[in-house]
Amino acid sequence: MKNDELLAAFDQGDRRKIMTLYWDQGLAKLADGDENAGCFYLVHAYVFALEDGAPEAEDIRSELKKRGREA
Amino acid sequence: MTNLSDVRVDVAKAKGLPNAHYVSDTVFEEEREAVLFANWSGVGFGKDIPNEGDAMPVDFLGMPLLLVRDQDMQVRVYQNTCRHRGMILVQEKGNIRGTIRCPYHSWCYGLNGQLRSTPHVGGPGQNLHDDIKRDELGLIEIRSHVFMDVVFVNVSGTAAPFEEAHAELIARWAEFADKPIYHGGADSSFTLEVQTNWKLAVENYCESYHLPWVHPALNSYSRLEDHYNVEEPLKFSGQGTLVYQQLNGEGGETFPDFEGLSDKWDTSAEYITVYPNTLIGVHRDHVFVIVLEPKAKDRTVEHIELYYAAPEAAEDGFADLRAANTKQWKLVFEEDIFVVEGMQKGRMGRFFDGGKFSPAMDSPTHMFHDWVAAQLEPGRMAAE
Repeated sequence: MKNDELLAAFDQGDRRKIMTLYWDQGLAKLADGDENAGCFYLVHAYVFALEDGAPEAEDIRSELKKRGREA
Repeated sequence: MTNLSDVRVDVAKAKGLPNAHYVSDTVFEEEREAVLFANWSGVGFGKDIPNEGDAMPVDFLGMPLLLVRDQDMQVRVYQNTCRHRGMILVQEKGNIRGTIRCPYHSWCYGLNGQLRSTPHVGGPGQNLHDDIKRDELGLIEIRSHVFMDVVFVNVSGTAAPFEEAHAELIARWAEFADKPIYHGGADSSFTLEVQTNWKLAVENYCESYHLPWVHPALNSYSRLEDHYNVEEPLKFSGQGTLVYQQLNGEGGETFPDFEGLSDKWDTSAEYITVYPNTLIGVHRDHVFVIVLEPKAKDRTVEHIELYYAAPEAAEDGFADLRAANTKQWKLVFEEDIFVVEGMQKGRMGRFFDGGKFSPAMDSPTHMFHDWVAAQLEPGRMAAE
């Protein structure tokens, strides 16, 4: 994840972009076998998806839930 | 503690509320709890949150409230405080697309108040913890009810349901109460900041005695004898006129009327205080609402909104007539400022004894005092 890209998304209040960046990073970490780091980023992706009312929230929640990290 | 024994007697013998009810911080706080929080107080308007997800924070006497239009298009009111660390949740009016996210640790609440997510609450990447029971940690909902687009709240949660508490008023105005009203838009909304206790604005509104002196323009068509008192003891009070005249535009046009009104309303209009702090005026063709926002013992903001009987009256074709109507009412309400501010100043006179009412003309005002005193009695008796 490019930090400057994330900060720019925060500056612009672009929740969808923030969600996407965190989600991609979370999935990448999970693919690397780092569940804790992956879920950390997925949690952030989930929060911004919820706040944005994004339909992806349900997919992110499912990823967390199957790892016992969300209800 | 003030002596209210002279207030709760017949208007012919009564005195008004003692000075302390206008100039004392202690009594202001007592009334906040017993009068404003324990009853149904107006705090806002449905028209300010018209769309799903619209949210508006309101500071009501120091109590942070959040007015929300939920997914069922119902108005809901929450304490605007996160259940986690007590952070204010929403600080600016806006639209919530998804969830209400606390800006501190990002606890997320649905528009229905349910706690949706608690990020990292069980440690990094873990949103669950056995001791964080989401179904017990939703937003605190404040009892609310919308009547004539006014959002009323009962902070204490102890008042009778709104429909019960105000059944007599709803019945009296049945011809208006069940009909939709249409806000006139930006030209039909204004606020007045007045240096007075909120009750003095109520008291002035309740009576017609002052009209010929404070509103001389009314004398040409709306004489004192054309008015009547509206009185429902311990419920509401106000005044009515028998000679309401519709506003005419340059081409003689008038606002459309509410449908199905009885003949009485051809020339009648009524101005009633929904105790404690909401003033409503109904006419055949429009309604105005004034929510009094008490800011301090001697400072009040009057939020004034005008509504019409038909949607076309809120559209461009009626813009000029709406502007004229707003101007007309604004003049009247501004003319009242010097008296409500003057009565506030007068109550610094330490020998003022609450005042002597005119039994004929002031009974709606006395009725309000009697009601205020009645609200204070239970708390005082419990403290004894």
